[in-house]
Amino acid sequence: MRFFLEGLAEAWDIVWAHEPWLVQLVVVTLKVAFISTGVALLIGLPLGLALGLGRFRGRGVLMTLANAGLGLPPVIVGLVFALLMFPQAPLGRFHLLFTLNGVLVAQTALALPIVVALTASAVRGVAPGLLAQARAYRARRWRVCVLALREARVGIMAATIAAVGSGLSEVGAVVLVGGNIDGLDQTLASAALQRIEAARFAEGLAIGIVLLGLILVITAALTVLQAGGGATRRVGRSS
Amino acid sequence: MSVLEVRGLQVRRGRRQVVHDVDLTLARGEVVAVLGPNGAGKSTLVEAVGGLLPSQGAVRIEGRAATVLQTPGLARRTARANVELALAWWGVPRRERRARAMAALDLMRAAHLAGRQAGSLSGGEARRVHLARGVAVAPDLLLLDEPFAGLDPESHAALSEDATSALRATGGGVLVVLHDRADAWAMADRVAVLVDGRLVADAAPDRLLAAPPTAEVARFLGYDGCLVDASGSTLTRAPHVRLVPAGEPGLLEGAVARVVRLQDGARVEVATAAGTVWALVDATDPGGLPRVGARVGVRVSGGVRFPPSV
Repeated sequence: MRFFLEGLAEAWDIVWAHEPWLVQLVVVTLKVAFISTGVALLIGLPLGLALGLGRFRGRGVLMTLANAGLGLPPVIVGLVFALLMFPQAPLGRFHLLFTLNGVLVAQTALALPIVVALTASAVRGVAPGLLAQARAYRARRWRVCVLALREARVGIMAATIAAVGSGLSEVGAVVLVGGNIDGLDQTLASAALQRIEAARFAEGLAIGIVLLGLILVITAALTVLQAGGGATRRVGRSS
Repeated sequence: MSVLEVRGLQVRRGRRQVVHDVDLTLARGEVVAVLGPNGAGKSTLVEAVGGLLPSQGAVRIEGRAATVLQTPGLARRTARANVELALAWWGVPRRERRARAMAALDLMRAAHLAGRQAGSLSGGEARRVHLARGVAVAPDLLLLDEPFAGLDPESHAALSEDATSALRATGGGVLVVLHDRADAWAMADRVAVLVDGRLVADAAPDRLLAAPPTAEVARFLGYDGCLVDASGSTLTRAPHVRLVPAGEPGLLEGAVARVVRLQDGARVEVATAAGTVWALVDATDPGGLPRVGARVGVRVSGGVRFPPSV
């Protein structure tokens, strides 16, 4: 216990000192979390919308695949992308292996099924009849899509929170694709792993404190946004 | 001038033909109610006319049609914003939406709900907002699918009264599927009866009630009594039948089979040798309500005659 408390005190000193390497880790981690989530939202929202609204053959299979994607093992994703990014492999010409861009690609692949599956579920849960009613008033297709996204915003915020959370705490894919290179593509979570393996526990704990703090602050902010989006002001009686 | 002309409309759902060869016209400013038993294809007919279902045959609409579906799906925003949303779907410019939404809510006696969130509205209030959307867009042809479904009797009565004047104010033609015959009589200029996907009657409400074209339509319209003789059958409704004391010479007599209590009296079923009839008995009648098994005389005035095959 004493060992742990001493380590914690030392970790706190590191955090308090705003060590440049720690700041660099925070910057890389935020980049990975937000850029991958942004790209996943750009690609995933239309796909989730299509899965949630569309009536086409194979939708059930695609929905199952998207849901299965929620449980994708990051190590396997990292391994597959690392192999694909080898110089002779299909993605080799893009020189992504052991770069931050490579990490972003792998993390986007992990965040995408989260966005697609949760968006599709949220859209399917929109008030029965509302979207049909919009079509019955001859609403243009883009208006129906905007309406569906707006009505499903609580679920879409949940997808965003989950995708950002995955980006903040991801290790397996980052290490395998990025190589966990200090000062280049190392994130807080992958750096913590490296420090603990090197028996630098105080630094590992300091990184852990910062990472948990980031996760708390960011998810709290997103949760506030989510609550605002889903709030319905109740006035008067409801019978 | 007709705003809707339907010729030979047929609709299939999977392998089942739900609507068969329906012909129907509707003039601008006219309200036509579609009545029929459950599963007759009423909603399918309206959705096909509104272009929401694939169909065969000719549907010509003079102008634009909007369909108010049965479920009042409201977005998570205020009542007024929901009406404005429908106007946006309809392509109404933003600057006109607020005034038109408020006018429609006012016509539906729902102006006081304008600022309320959809989630806080009762079933009747939500239906008012739902109908206000249709009134606000004021299409050339407004199609409504059971606009009062699922309401308690009090909300139903209040809403149907207000909806009648509001729908007429749109100026277009209105084709409305109704479940309750009383609503059709209160709202419609014409009543179309659909049975098994076939349009079996189409006439003004009073004319239809006085002279239903077939026994099937008559039964659907409330002709629940049937007296059979050698030359055919007489179908009756309760107002055609009066119960009198038994024993008068030449009077049809029977035994009381059932007494169904109503708020101000009872519906009484009498089994006679010629068949069964229903009569209304006022609770204030000097003789009081008859008892089951009692012998009574039956005086029939009115009803409709059909050939023996009925």
